[in-house]
Amino acid sequence: MPYQERRRSITPRVVVVGLASCFGCQLQITNQEQYLTDVLGQIEVVYWQMTSSEPMPDSFDVAVIEGAVTNRESEETVRELREKASKIITIGACAVTAGIPGIAAKDYEDRPHEVYNTIPEACGELIAPRSVGSVIDVDYEVRCCPIDFYEFVQVLSAALYGSNHKLRTTTMCTECKQKENICFYAKGEICLGLVTVGGCQARCPSLGRPCNGCRGISPSANLESARQSVIKYGLSVDEFNEKLEMFNQTNTQFTGEEAAVEEAR
Amino acid sequence: MAKTAISIDHIARVEGHGNVHVVINDGVVENVEMNIVEPARLFESMVKGRSFKDCSYISSRICGICSPSHCLTDIKAVEAAFGVEVSERTKKLRELLVYGSYLQNHASHLFVFVVPDFVGYPSVFPLAESNPELFAQALELKRLGNDLCTKVGGRSIHPITAVVGGFTHEIKREEYLELAERMEAMIPFACETVDLFSSFRITEFQSANDMLAMVEENYYPVQSSPTLRLIEEDATFDTADYLNYLEEYEVAHSGALFTRSVKTKKPVFTSALSRINASWGNLSRQAKVMSAKAGLRPTEKNPMKNNLAQAIELVDALIRCSAICRDLAYMEGDSKPVDFEVKAGRGVGMTEAPRGVVFHDLEFDDAGRVVHASIITPTAQNLGALEADMRQLAGILAEENLDEEYIRMEIAKLVRAYDPCISCSVH
Ligand code: SF4
Ligand code: SF4
Ligand code: SF4
Repeated sequence: MPYQERRRSITPRVVVVGLASCFGCQLQITNQEQYLTDVLGQIEVVYWQMTSSEPMPDSFDVAVIEGAVTNRESEETVRELREKASKIITIGACAVTAGIPGIAAKDYEDRPHEVYNTIPEACGELIAPRSVGSVIDVDYEVRCCPIDFYEFVQVLSAALYGSNHKLRTTTMCTECKQKENICFYAKGEICLGLVTVGGCQARCPSLGRPCNGCRGISPSANLESARQSVIKYGLSVDEFNEKLEMFNQTNTQFTGEEAAVEEAR
Repeated sequence: MAKTAISIDHIARVEGHGNVHVVINDGVVENVEMNIVEPARLFESMVKGRSFKDCSYISSRICGICSPSHCLTDIKAVEAAFGVEVSERTKKLRELLVYGSYLQNHASHLFVFVVPDFVGYPSVFPLAESNPELFAQALELKRLGNDLCTKVGGRSIHPITAVVGGFTHEIKREEYLELAERMEAMIPFACETVDLFSSFRITEFQSANDMLAMVEENYYPVQSSPTLRLIEEDATFDTADYLNYLEEYEVAHSGALFTRSVKTKKPVFTSALSRINASWGNLSRQAKVMSAKAGLRPTEKNPMKNNLAQAIELVDALIRCSAICRDLAYMEGDSKPVDFEVKAGRGVGMTEAPRGVVFHDLEFDDAGRVVHASIITPTAQNLGALEADMRQLAGILAEENLDEEYIRMEIAKLVRAYDPCISCSVH
């Protein structure tokens, strides 16, 4: 087998696709220039629309998806990606939990008209924003808004070569306390670290800002007891709920259950 | 020559998804469209009803590429509505944040997106192999921009520390001094970049569009002034009155709203080139010398020179930021968020993002919740101007009987000279 072809057959082929997003997660990858070539050296990026003018190929191994699904066209795209790729990695809150675009899911029908008088054709057939995982099965996730580059590299290698890396389930507070930050609740401010899954090293509380929950709700979080603590500190549960909805739709209509129902129909 | 239809689907090496269609019939340009096919996320409707505290956090997500600018513009809108005055130190930090974004954006746009046009590669990766030294320095400059945003904002995109009234965290004196040294060390490379871009051959033509930029007496402003100028119209006005001068309008082929001058109905171009045209006299000495040497003097009306203008701004930004970092290392005072009272009212924030003027117009109820929001991004303003210039450029080239492939290349170059950030334009 000629060298070029052999290389092709053993080098994993990767595509990177952006849906409704701010491009920030893709940018986090390109921003680590100094390591980018090292990482890219082991894989072949066969399609990355953000950085090149080559068209998307018909076959590849891994699809990296950024962004939420907000129209029928992107819904089709992710289904197609699922068919072609053996591994799907979603990156960033937009793709994982619907993130910031997901804020618009509530009362979605009225929203386009608040921005446009006539909805431009170019917008496609708009649907309420949803996570990629609510449309197709996802193999790996990289959380946060934006993602952390090193975590992305870890997940990518796990997708390519396998790993016994276990998902963290503890809440942020464990990491925050290790950093010896003063808790925001003691200062009379709501912080979502209480229910958010750890892994970002309590990035925001360590810089003087409460956590907004971009990493998603921890599987071991107890929302009810968190609300009780909010009351205990004399703070507003409504405000807590509202903050939570920023990155985490608690409305099951768009978190997967509904999609499964739709599918069954 | 018969009918030629040039279509570029998913125009590459720009920020976001857009298509271009140009129809030329017998040497006459019949139709020009820039379609924005990015899915809309409806930000204006998303911040509605939410507290002023979360507003900048959400609207920063309009665009990761220029997130410091969206974050800061939103904060400034809140401060305008509540009447918040911030400290001198906070103002300097904000300027650094904006410039960090300029360094990131200009460096990556110029070297990753534009250079391949002039050396004929489909993407940047072959360049990394053919000229590794140039590529390495370009990446270092971009990294400096990222580091500046990280040091000031806590993260290279979507700043954490910038809030209404000030900053929640600051770095140490030594870190400011180290940043200053790194900037000073990059100035020679930025000057080489200006020389490199002035050596590229571009099609000569004079745009008929107007240009918009922030202006301030004796200063090259990026976030410090409330005053704007429409150069051609010769109108200078306050941010709060922007609706008397600029109007948005819908077009069927684009998900983004277009913008034009209320009075002249001319499309408006806002950009590095517009800033240099409006404030050439206030560039730092070295940047001005480089600009003159490269033949860019006001009023330069060829939009193809915007990339050159971006290179000149790199020189200027490095000089300014190193001085600000040295100031911050020794100046008194702090940047802790100041106290303020929440009240009902409207506020318009405006800053110069890397790609031009951005507006966030917010109205609050007396609990500090958003009642109405309107966001006008630089790219949305520029789309009308870009279409007008594409039409003119295609006309010039068709008249010279140049072939379709050549015209296609030149149009793509023009789009990249405009440096559209499409994810911004559809929000
Ligand atoms: S998760 Fe955040 S940073 Fe990533 S694309 Fe979405 S909005 Fe941007
Ligand atoms: S500040 Fe937030 S993350 Fe830290 S301990 Fe308190 S609730 Fe948990
Ligand atoms: S602290 Fe919270 S909001 Fe900040 S990065 Fe971590 S999960 Fe996201």
